[in-house]
Amino acid sequence: MASTIVSFTLNGREVEVIAKPLVTLQTVLREQLGYTATKSGCKKGGCGSCTVLLNGDPVMSCLLPVADIAGQEVVTLEGITPVDGLHPIQTTFYEKFAIQCGFCTPGMILVAKALLDRNPHPSAEEIADALSGNYCRCTGYTPIVRAVQHAAQQMATD
Amino acid sequence: MSTKEYFLPRSAGEAVQLLAEHGPSLLILAGGTIAMPLINEGVSFPERVMGLRHAGLSGIGQDGGTFTIGACTTISQVLAWDAIPTLQQAAHNVAGWSIRNMATVGGNLFAPPPAGDLAVMLLALDADVKLANSTSERIVPLKDFYTGFMITALEPGELVTEIRVRKPAGETVYTKFGRKKANTPSVVTVAAHLMLDGDTVKDARIALGAVGPHPFRSTKAESALVGSALGEETIARAATLAAEECEPIADAIASEWYRRKMVSVILSRALAQLLN
Repeated sequence: MASTIVSFTLNGREVEVIAKPLVTLQTVLREQLGYTATKSGCKKGGCGSCTVLLNGDPVMSCLLPVADIAGQEVVTLEGITPVDGLHPIQTTFYEKFAIQCGFCTPGMILVAKALLDRNPHPSAEEIADALSGNYCRCTGYTPIVRAVQHAAQQMATD
Repeated sequence: MSTKEYFLPRSAGEAVQLLAEHGPSLLILAGGTIAMPLINEGVSFPERVMGLRHAGLSGIGQDGGTFTIGACTTISQVLAWDAIPTLQQAAHNVAGWSIRNMATVGGNLFAPPPAGDLAVMLLALDADVKLANSTSERIVPLKDFYTGFMITALEPGELVTEIRVRKPAGETVYTKFGRKKANTPSVVTVAAHLMLDGDTVKDARIALGAVGPHPFRSTKAESALVGSALGEETIARAATLAAEECEPIADAIASEWYRRKMVSVILSRALAQLLN
C-alpha cells in the first residue's frame, strides 16, 4: 500500500502530511514538519522526551502512528510558546533552574501544562506523580517540581 | 521501515475480517506501547499491521451484573472509573501518565513480565475475556487465558474484544512492589480477593505478577487460606506456599532469589491489611 494523506490540527493550524504506513507522529513532527521541540529520545515510550498533547492529554509521540490521529488536535511546545515571549511555565523553568541540558524540558513543560489545566493548585506529590513518566538525568527533579509549583502560583495571580 | 500496509478498521467486525484474511502474520496494535518500541528499535519489522484505535472497542459498559470493559479501553479510562477502587489503584500503578493514556486493558494481557500488572488485579477479580473471530465469539476465564510465556488461549483469527468483571463480593487488596514509588517495573505484584465469614476465609483468590511466565493464581496459597481463620499464622503459611509455588523471572530489576523473598513479604503485608 502506498502512503496515505493524513490531516490533523497542529498547534491550532490544519496540517496535511503524506504518511508512510505506520510512520509515527514523532517522525512526522521532526522530519517532515520541522517541529523539533518534540525530542527523539529512547523511542520506546520510556523517557517522555517526545511527549505531545493529543486533544489535551499527554501521549508519547514515538509510539503513535500518525494515521491514528487524523482529524485530532496536537499541541507541541511550539504551540504554547507566545510569539513574543514565554509561557509562564517556561519562564519559571528558566528562573528556578529546572533546565540543565534541556532535552527533557519540552516534555516536562507539556505534562506540567496538562496537569495545571486540570488541577491549577497541585501538591508537590501530585506534580511528581504527573511527571513520573518523564525522565530528567540532570536536575534531580526537585527544581522541576518547584518550577511547576511556582508556575501554578504565577498563573493563579495573572 | 519495512511496513507495507497499516490497516485502521472502523469496527470490531472489520478487524476480525482483516485477521481472517491475513492470518497470524498481521501484527495487532492497540495502544502501541508494546509493539511500537520493538518496531522503532528494528527488533520487529512486520509487513502488515492493524491498529485498533478506531475499531469501536473502547469504553466501559454493563451487561446485567457484569461490567464490560472494551479491549481498547485505555488504562487512564479505567483509572477514571470508580466502580472497583482496587482496580483503579492497579490502573494508577501502571507506568506514567502518557503511557496510561495510550496503553489498553486488552493489550495489558499480552505484556510480558514484569509488565502486565492490571491483569493481576483482574485475575483476583476472576475476570473473563471475550474472544471473537469472524464467525463466532467465546468467553474464557482470564485464569485459563494464559497458557505459557507470551502464549495465550487465543486461536489464530481470534481477537480479544472485551474483559468482563463483576463487582467484588468480598474484600480486595492490591500491592505493586517496585524499586520506585511511581512508574516502576514490578518486583512482585500481588492482588487478593477474600470472602470472609467472621474470621474464617470462605473463598480466596490470590494472584501474582512478575514472578512467573505470566500473571497467575497461587492455588496453594488459596487452599491454605480457605477454611482457616485469617490470622498471622494462616497468612504466613499462605505466603510461604506462594513463594514456593512461584517461578520468578530474573532481570535488571530483581533477581529470582529476591523476587521469591518478596512474594512472601508482600503477600503477607497485603493480606494483613484484611485483618480486623
